[in-house]
Amino acid sequence: MVKKKKSTHETATTAVIDHETAAPAVEEDQTFTSLRTNLAEINKCKGVLGYILRNATSATIDLKDPTKLVEYATLSSQALDSGKEISELFDIGDIENILIQGKDSKALCITMGENKASIFMEKDADHTDILRRVSP
Amino acid sequence: MNNEEYAFALKNTLNEIKNICPDLSHAFFFKDEKIIAKDENTDEKTANSTVTAFNAITERANAIGGLESVTFHGTNGRVNIACINDLYLTTVTSKEADEKYVNTLTRVLVPTVLKLLEKIHPASIDHDTLTTEKPEPTEDNNADEIIEDAEVCEKELPMEETDATEPESEPLLPEPPVNQLIVENLSGLLVPSDTVRIDSAVTAQWKDLYGDKKIGEVDVETLNGKTTRCKFKPIKGSKHKGKGIIQIPEKIQLTLQTKKGELAMVKPVVK
Repeated sequence: MVKKKKSTHETATTAVIDHETAAPAVEEDQTFTSLRTNLAEINKCKGVLGYILRNATSATIDLKDPTKLVEYATLSSQALDSGKEISELFDIGDIENILIQGKDSKALCITMGENKASIFMEKDADHTDILRRVSP
Repeated sequence: MNNEEYAFALKNTLNEIKNICPDLSHAFFFKDEKIIAKDENTDEKTANSTVTAFNAITERANAIGGLESVTFHGTNGRVNIACINDLYLTTVTSKEADEKYVNTLTRVLVPTVLKLLEKIHPASIDHDTLTTEKPEPTEDNNADEIIEDAEVCEKELPMEETDATEPESEPLLPEPPVNQLIVENLSGLLVPSDTVRIDSAVTAQWKDLYGDKKIGEVDVETLNGKTTRCKFKPIKGSKHKGKGIIQIPEKIQLTLQTKKGELAMVKPVVK
């Protein structure tokens, strides 16, 4: 399903991909839906450039610049993979979140059970506030 | 100074940071794919695997303008990899560690040590051939000189080690050292509001460095860039000696917009 949303300056594209619609776990669905609602609200905040939310069966993507979709997706996926390795190397337990700071912008990757959210934002955006809002 | 000595100075810096922050379990420097200096706790294999994992993210970070730093927050601890000058510093801390304190320490102390090393021997540092091997004792006093200077920044230099005769051997005055000290409150009825008190180990070192030259004032600068020049006195008693402390009256703290527990950079004004 592809839905177009209009913002004041930019056009955001939301894509929801459902691979399994038959009988998904109700609880997982609820967490995913709640996260999606939460992220949609966060996405309206100043400085937030968009988000990617995914679990084993679904994904929601809402980016202000859809051309960066592939780059953002590979970055967040790699960060989560590297996070697992780092966690094993230094025994820091399960990775809760990863903050990737770039020269132009930054990304916050959050793991909540099976759900993985990556929020992209401008460099001066308050990532601690966003983190608090996503996983209070 | 050769690269081994450079790496040795960095390794000492890491160990001193770990002494100040017991919550810091691992720390090492790398550049590209090369481990430049590491603490005792970190083995080569772990460090190399970390670099590989980090480089994998770096390769995919064009979308955010290239990677500056990455922090992994786990349920039991935190791993931070940040670019400092040309090097990447990896720090591993427990969950309880004060992230701001660790970052303040590493992002002030490490650049200062690097700057100091570059200043002492600018031409001889070749990052591409840096190693982590310990240098063998040499006849050249430079190594001792560098280690001493690095330790000044780390507030650990005991007086006995500062008996070098550097000032006599140099016709020109050495550039004033910058010391990072931890702010403490100074109050009392008889306390002058325009005078700070500084760790006597640091002031003794200045005395060793400048001999009979008069040092009546110091420049104090905080991390937020506020500076002031004021009089100073060494802290009396051995209790505070070598602790890297600067006691600042409330009035000067207000001027500098600083408070107890923060870091301040202190430079002697030599006349």
